[in-house]
Amino acid sequence: MSLEIEEFLHTERLPHIWCPGCGNGIVTAAFLRAALDLGLKRESTVVVSGIGCSSRASNYIDLGTVHSIHGRAIAVATGIKMARPNFTVIVLTGDGDGAAIGGNHLIHACRRNIDLTCVLFNNQIYGMTGGQLSPTMEVGGRATTAPHGHVEPPFDLCRLTEAAGASFVARGTAGHIRQLEKLIKKGIAHPGFAFIEAVVPCPTEYGRRNGTANAPRMLDDERTRSISKAKAAGLSRQELAGKIVTGILHEDTTAPEFLQAYTADARAQAEEASAPAAKEQK
Amino acid sequence: MLNCPMHMDQWHSHLLGERVDQSSLVIQGNRACALGALDAGVRFFAGYPISPSSEIMEAMADRLPAAGGVFIQMEDEIASICACIGAALTGELAMTATSGPGFSLMQEALGYAIMVETPLLIVNVMRVGPSTGRPTAPSQGDVMQARWGTHGDHPAIVLAASNVADMYRLTMAAVRFAQRFRTPVILLADQLVGQMRESFSPELIGRYRLTSGDFDFTPGYIHPDLAREVHRPHVLGSGSHPHVTGLFHDDTGFPTNDPEKSDSFLRELYNKVAHHRNELCLYDVKNEGKGRVCIVAYGSCARTARAAWKLADQEGLPVEVLHLYTLFPLPVEIIQQVARRVEFMLIPELNLGQYAHEVRKMAEQWTTVIGMGKIDGTLFTPREILDRIAELIGKYESV
Repeated sequence: MSLEIEEFLHTERLPHIWCPGCGNGIVTAAFLRAALDLGLKRESTVVVSGIGCSSRASNYIDLGTVHSIHGRAIAVATGIKMARPNFTVIVLTGDGDGAAIGGNHLIHACRRNIDLTCVLFNNQIYGMTGGQLSPTMEVGGRATTAPHGHVEPPFDLCRLTEAAGASFVARGTAGHIRQLEKLIKKGIAHPGFAFIEAVVPCPTEYGRRNGTANAPRMLDDERTRSISKAKAAGLSRQELAGKIVTGILHEDTTAPEFLQAYTADARAQAEEASAPAAKEQK
Repeated sequence: MLNCPMHMDQWHSHLLGERVDQSSLVIQGNRACALGALDAGVRFFAGYPISPSSEIMEAMADRLPAAGGVFIQMEDEIASICACIGAALTGELAMTATSGPGFSLMQEALGYAIMVETPLLIVNVMRVGPSTGRPTAPSQGDVMQARWGTHGDHPAIVLAASNVADMYRLTMAAVRFAQRFRTPVILLADQLVGQMRESFSPELIGRYRLTSGDFDFTPGYIHPDLAREVHRPHVLGSGSHPHVTGLFHDDTGFPTNDPEKSDSFLRELYNKVAHHRNELCLYDVKNEGKGRVCIVAYGSCARTARAAWKLADQEGLPVEVLHLYTLFPLPVEIIQQVARRVEFMLIPELNLGQYAHEVRKMAEQWTTVIGMGKIDGTLFTPREILDRIAELIGKYESV
């Protein structure tokens, strides 16, 4: 049986490197279904990733794929998009890659509201390097670099990106496959910077250290902790502790998109420059 | 991208902000660099402000959008070089400009660009370092960083500009080399060369303009004589859908851990520059074959060296000057050729002997290599160099 997503999959490169129970494959498949539904073309679609478990997704995707350097996927994607505004450019990144080492590029891309789509796989841990803490790890979480429990508070990446200027912000989980697919699809279609946080289970590196080394149970837990934006609106901060607020959290289709503004400005400059004779006559 | 809306005659007037139908004009080195880049076809610039290089970025911000290109000020130098790499992966000619601290930040991405064989121009207008150092004083302290700054064994093409005209023509040469060898090229300037103004002949513009007959600008084009060493021309959107990775990869573009493939991949990457050394090494010899002492110099020190040679000529000292425009790949043949015929090689540098050490390795079996270093943010005077030469010759004769 062949799956429809195989059209955009390098099946000859499988099996993938992800551990059993990892949620990265679920998010990658959701992205591929969204790409198929939107009719994205290989010639004009580029997936850019950084370094880390989630960023390895670009190895298996049969589109234009750039596996760049740690933390810099958004910066590379910015260059691609500016050079080829007609391309659809998607960034696949993780919580370490996108929110720690690459945090500065993330907020600046939000501020510019450049038409990129960033899907950030959030598993709260550095999996590839063996289980170190990430900036999205909850207080009390255990990692090789927080062996006695983490003391720092985590980022709420959706609040962060909205505040920084992203015009589309959403959160889904690997436990809600169809919703995630819809969110990614809407994000790609959105004209402006779209940020989608995908909460994924990491049973091997996170789970084993935090008493949840069971993939189905971790997915179940994501589902039970999830709450819609509408329901969350009525709850206090205390009541929301430990909950995962999912769905489209912010959407503004009227915010000026960077490339459109840039191109209009460049056209005006070019017109002015091509009429120096008229200028001299003045 | 937009097409250039202007004719070339309007073009230079527009770029320079003044008419170009004069016999010569006075412009700043950094602006000459921007002009050279635009003439060479650079249509993408991403940068971050830093003294003493910011005028390159300012000129690009002013002129590039109207020229149908893209200018963007990024959030830091890492983002700047990464955006350039992204644009270059689509086939655009991209560049960035910076100074020491920013150049340090770019090193990791520079290695990525080498690894994925992406053409790119990086201009480093050197200041005195390390650290913040003295941002508005000249230095040549980044020579070895330009060669070995990024980790791992890698090829490097490094050019050095000594005056305003060089900032124009070496920028063009650097772009040409980057395209031909599909690798980043580093152009070193220093605060003096970048920020001073001197006369610049518009004739140069015609003489050094690269035409389509001169070079093939087709994205992803690989010259037949480089076909073996260049692996994959990654051009996003060219009909193929490549995978680009900084991991060791094979000819398919996908990662490999195979020892044999890893070895041949890196060796071929290295050799594509090493095997074309003669084509890449630009130099100039003054008073060829007539000196007992040869001053080997590059960048702003080459200006002093030329002045010292003229003074030596008046005073009857036998001096020749080897002016190097290409620092890496090492100009082994020319250095050894000169080393065989002179008694001393004197290398004045605005650092503590970074390049003298390289020359010593190549030349010490034939001649005595003497370094002369200065790190106080000032230049050598011709007299200082001449005094040292007189001292060397005197010492030699008294033995």
